[in-house]
Amino acid sequence: MAAQARPELEFFCFRVGELRFGVPSENVLEVLRAGLLTPLPRTPSFILGVTGHRGQVLPVVDLLRFLSKGEARIGPRTRIFVGVSGSYVSGVVADTVLGLRRIPVSEILPPPLGGDQAAEHLLGVVQGSGPADGINLLNFSKLLQTARQRAVVR
Amino acid sequence: MSGNDLLDEPAPGLDADAERALGEVDVLFFQIGDSEYGTDASSVLRIDRALPDDLTVRDLGLPHKGHRAIVFDTPEGEGHLKVDAVNGVRTIPLSGLRRMPVAAAAASYAVGVCLDEEAGRPVLLIDLAETLKTQGRH
Repeated sequence: MAAQARPELEFFCFRVGELRFGVPSENVLEVLRAGLLTPLPRTPSFILGVTGHRGQVLPVVDLLRFLSKGEARIGPRTRIFVGVSGSYVSGVVADTVLGLRRIPVSEILPPPLGGDQAAEHLLGVVQGSGPADGINLLNFSKLLQTARQRAVVR
Repeated sequence: MSGNDLLDEPAPGLDADAERALGEVDVLFFQIGDSEYGTDASSVLRIDRALPDDLTVRDLGLPHKGHRAIVFDTPEGEGHLKVDAVNGVRTIPLSGLRRMPVAAAAASYAVGVCLDEEAGRPVLLIDLAETLKTQGRH
């Protein structure tokens, strides 16, 4: 009997701070070196500034601040991935890029119930061999939408 | 005549220099603390010595010394912004300027950025008159 194909989803996975995240690969355009950011006056704290890339100006988001999980540190090895959802394009800080991973849908667990605001922006979680190896799968479209709403209503 | 012919020909009454000027803007670059900013040079009246009451916009950073002031025109009169240095005026093609992304939700006086290769990073463009409104001064 032929083995049945297990449905999978592809995620761009990265680490920032102590946390591992995955973003649906269709939401990620490319990865850049962090380079020099231009800070902006009176932006929400989770927007670190803007960077120029291919003639475009990208706001750069600190995911840890956005999710109230600390704050990212920009160093020489820091990367920014260019994320897109509809007409919104944004850079997001990543300490380490883990790469593209195909994750069987059956391994994706629902986000923790009654979780914090980080949980609100998760599609689900994938457990790893240890507690630090799990991956939080982000609902990137919702995340960008919330970021924009928070920025506008201030 | 094709559409491209229309774009290639100078508009009636404009010489080549005037036509080129339409696609460029003079940007005055200045320094506050460690940050460089730019502004439309046509809004600047002069560079002066700073006076104690001159404007400091905290969100743009505090000047190290602030011995100079950019004097600019507003509907209510002159405005004076303390700066550390004026780095000069450069003519920038409009193609090198970008509006501030709405998603960045920056202050209203941060109107855009200049993708200036010399600076190595985008330079924030400031509407000087708008800085006064946000500070409630003129």
